[in-house]
Amino acid sequence: MTVFKFPQFQRYEISVSLFHNVSNTSDVKLKIAELPYALVDATMVCSIEQLYSAIYRAIVESTYNRLRTKTLHSECLLCLAPSSNIGEAFKRFGIKDESKEIIVIKIKDTEDDQDNDPEFPDIIKGDQVSFDDETLQATKNEELIRKVRIQTL
Amino acid sequence: MSEQLVAQISEYLTPNVPIQLVSQGAEAVVFTTNVHPYLPKESYSGVEDAKFIIKYRPSKSYRHPSIDKSLTKRRTLGEARLLGKLHQIEGLHVPHLIACDAYNGCLWLEFLGENLPNGMGFSNLKNFLWMYAKGGNDPYDPIVLETLYKVGQEIGLLHWNDYCHGDLTSSNIILVREKPGSDTWVPHLIDFGLGSISNMVEDKGVDLYVLERAILSTHSSYAEKYNECLMNGFSSVYENNGKLGQKKLKEVINRFQEVRLRGRKRSMIG
Ligand SMILES: Nc1ncnc2c1ncn2[C@@H]1O[C@H](COP(=O)(O)O)[C@@H](O)[C@H]1O
Repeated sequence: MTVFKFPQFQRYEISVSLFHNVSNTSDVKLKIAELPYALVDATMVCSIEQLYSAIYRAIVESTYNRLRTKTLHSECLLCLAPSSNIGEAFKRFGIKDESKEIIVIKIKDTEDDQDNDPEFPDIIKGDQVSFDDETLQATKNEELIRKVRIQTL
Repeated sequence: MSEQLVAQISEYLTPNVPIQLVSQGAEAVVFTTNVHPYLPKESYSGVEDAKFIIKYRPSKSYRHPSIDKSLTKRRTLGEARLLGKLHQIEGLHVPHLIACDAYNGCLWLEFLGENLPNGMGFSNLKNFLWMYAKGGNDPYDPIVLETLYKVGQEIGLLHWNDYCHGDLTSSNIILVREKPGSDTWVPHLIDFGLGSISNMVEDKGVDLYVLERAILSTHSSYAEKYNECLMNGFSSVYENNGKLGQKKLKEVINRFQEVRLRGRKRSMIG
């Protein structure tokens, strides 16, 4: 698990974990609405930069504008997508029943007393691997990422 | 620069993002920083003095607040979108867009260029040409002519894809060494604050005219040859695109000549 804060936004503590060989994706998917995480299909992410720029944008939107989705976590999925079509963003970047590589993002608001859920997401059954460019490169679906990202830019 | 402006941006960036002023224009203030907005420090701190550009459009107190906000947002977003699109054009070189906060008028861009040797200033086209015009150098050095040809190609690619720059001066063209230490320079176009999607020959003609004037006014003794190299590079892009390219090239060049005769402002009469 990688934990960090953005220089400009010390208020948010962000944790990112990457799992391989996940065996219970369809169970997790059923509970997805209640989980305080963003769950991303890791094959749709080719670099740390791609993921972090989306999280940064989600925080900018929530700080200076307004969220277009219900939570900061779902906003991250929207910010990964090139358009503002929420359904499309979830379909493309969210987890599918057959997803085996999954990224879990937790954005903790340190100024919110209610937000005390630092527990590691043990709901995911799989192998935790290091979240880095090399690992992402190994599982990325480059063709699909290109197709989806360039489409509406 | 006004203290109020520094206070504005510093509060926004927080003390975690130290900045240094690079330039102050009418519309935007440009800073450098050694802090990336979202990448971990380990990923770039190995790189010798990593730098990023922050282009900030400050709020203007003489405008109505809500008009000011929407103008800032529109212009910042417009420039970001344009850069995003231009980045995808193969062979065209523009700064990589790192982040955009349109609500606060803030763009983060890849830092391009370097300081030229012997205190000749920053590596934009203007200073580069000065360097070769002065001090025992050959103003017609093959490196100069080749670089100008490549500048022409960049503009050709921009126009062929129906984009216009809007403020094409020789300071808005930054030269980046192909590899560290190499004598081959890759021109990059910056500052798309006035850029647009446009298929109008008028806009393209004006772009070419503005750059020609810039070279004529700062490097007048060599301007003829320099502009010839630029136009050769420019034309090569169109000529690589068959009959349609030839036809469009003729249209742009005809208009360029018209603009040259009358000046950049279109006549109100006729
Ligand atoms: N990507 C960049 N890399 C290096 N310098 C830049 C960059 N963008 C802007 N600058 C500097 O800031 C000045 C003003 O930028 P602009 O307002 O975009 O024309 C330029 O003339 C450059 O000296």
